[in-house]
Amino acid sequence: MKANFFCAGTRHAEPLGWVFAAMNFIFLLCAVGLGLFLVVESVPVLRSEGWGFWLGENWWVGEAFGALPMICGSLIVTGLALLLVLPVALSGAVFTSEYLPSSFRRRVKGIMELLAGVPGIIYGLLGVSFLTVAVKDSLNLLDGNTLFTAGCLLAIMILPTVLTLSEDALHSVPREFREAAESLGLTKLQTTLRVVLPQSLPGIVGAVLLGVGRAMGETIAVMLVIGSLDRMPNLFVAGQTIPSKLGREAAEALGSGLHWSALMGLGLTLFIMVAVLTFSGNLFIKRSSQ
Amino acid sequence: MHRYKGIWAGLVLFLVIGCGSATHAASGLRIQVVGSTTVLPVASRSAQKFMESSSSRILVNAGGSGVGIHSVAGGRADIGMASREISQDEKKRFEKSHLKIHPIGLDAVACVVSSEVYESGVRQLTREQIAGIYLGEIRNWKEVGGQDRQIVVVDKERHRGTRHVFMQYVFGNASQRTPGTLLVTGSNNEEQAKIAQSDSAIGMLSLAWVNDDVKAVSLLDQGKEILPTWETVRQGNYPIVRKLSFITAGEPKSETKAFIDFVKGPEGQKIVEESGYIPVGSSQP
Repeated sequence: MKANFFCAGTRHAEPLGWVFAAMNFIFLLCAVGLGLFLVVESVPVLRSEGWGFWLGENWWVGEAFGALPMICGSLIVTGLALLLVLPVALSGAVFTSEYLPSSFRRRVKGIMELLAGVPGIIYGLLGVSFLTVAVKDSLNLLDGNTLFTAGCLLAIMILPTVLTLSEDALHSVPREFREAAESLGLTKLQTTLRVVLPQSLPGIVGAVLLGVGRAMGETIAVMLVIGSLDRMPNLFVAGQTIPSKLGREAAEALGSGLHWSALMGLGLTLFIMVAVLTFSGNLFIKRSSQ
Repeated sequence: MHRYKGIWAGLVLFLVIGCGSATHAASGLRIQVVGSTTVLPVASRSAQKFMESSSSRILVNAGGSGVGIHSVAGGRADIGMASREISQDEKKRFEKSHLKIHPIGLDAVACVVSSEVYESGVRQLTREQIAGIYLGEIRNWKEVGGQDRQIVVVDKERHRGTRHVFMQYVFGNASQRTPGTLLVTGSNNEEQAKIAQSDSAIGMLSLAWVNDDVKAVSLLDQGKEILPTWETVRQGNYPIVRKLSFITAGEPKSETKAFIDFVKGPEGQKIVEESGYIPVGSSQP
């Protein structure tokens, strides 16, 4: 399409095409600009801390900036959310797409899409008033503000997103595939697991990636239940993620040299983490489609 | 070409509306107030009263004393609210901004515990005991006269004014590191909620925020028990006292000055008292 647009000599006839191209360019500019901004802003802290920025365990403003506790915290919380959400979301998606009658399916989808649009702060408020207390009582912990709580909350938060998008992927597999499989004598369950699921894998991976991206970047919901302690993480004790750290300190550090740069360094780290995640997801899709 | 007329019209309309609202926003007089959550109730109540008789709009936002000082020095706010002194480091860094302090009231910081701990018998703590708890040397309430229950040590973000004055009293160092900490909170509101939710927490809180779920303990200083009441604060006997202030970059002008004078005046000082603090000039800290 692209080659067509530039080479076929239709550009004068289609000014709207240029508008589209310009919009695309704006998007590119945003992505590159954001990356550049983060790199440039975090140069001072990387220069003063070196690799210690990613390997150091102590974050003492004015003395040392070590981001390892927040990096580990982010990974643990996101990993836990993923672990909790995958079985629920996938089985839910399979059930909705393959087993529910279509009138029901539409209603369920409506609810899921509604939930997927609920902002993080709402989940955060639920978390801080119910989940922290529930976690504390049910696990008999000293306090309910832990990495575990944050992971559970994120799982609840991204569940509708992952569910509805994977359901879309499953549902978009053509009916002929199912009919062919069933005419070969496969049961409904076999058809679903052996035909529909593999066919929709790229879409499901995309859904999961979107969910994980949202979980990794969630600030306020996590901030309210995680306890904000900058220490090497332990699942059942308070911890810190990169976004929650940024949320806590950004206003204070604005325009104050190394501290600000250190926060930008954290932002850059998160940016890289999400980029690696997306990249490996795409690689996985490419591999599995071959 | 007429196919695109709608689009162009839309674009033009969009731009016109955009520019229109931008100029409108610039013409109204707005005063930005940012900072300490301790001072916040005073500022927002005063702002409401003040706006009844003034055309200017006052926007009050939280963030903590550090944020207040940084914002006003960086020109992002007209008035910064602070519940602590400006530190040496900040004085040096913001020398060019000529920060000016306008005291508006007095507050005390209490060492607070969950009501369950208070009921179980922990009514007073020495400075050494508090220090031990925050350093992680004392981990159980039974070591300081309570039940056999582990202590949930609640700390505040490092730039919070409440933390500065509290740590200054306990350790003699405003930015003391506290390895015993289990939880870090931000605003007074957040800390109050987290301590109330727990049944074995200790923390630091502005005296005005103490309630039935979050109880203030007496301080034992050189064998003398100092009750955390407004009486002792007013008499100047309570040791953890701080000034609440507005901060401006240079001398305040026109409406900003009018607002500060309003808060310092009789009406504003009544609001200070209603918010649970002590008006300026009524005690000797």
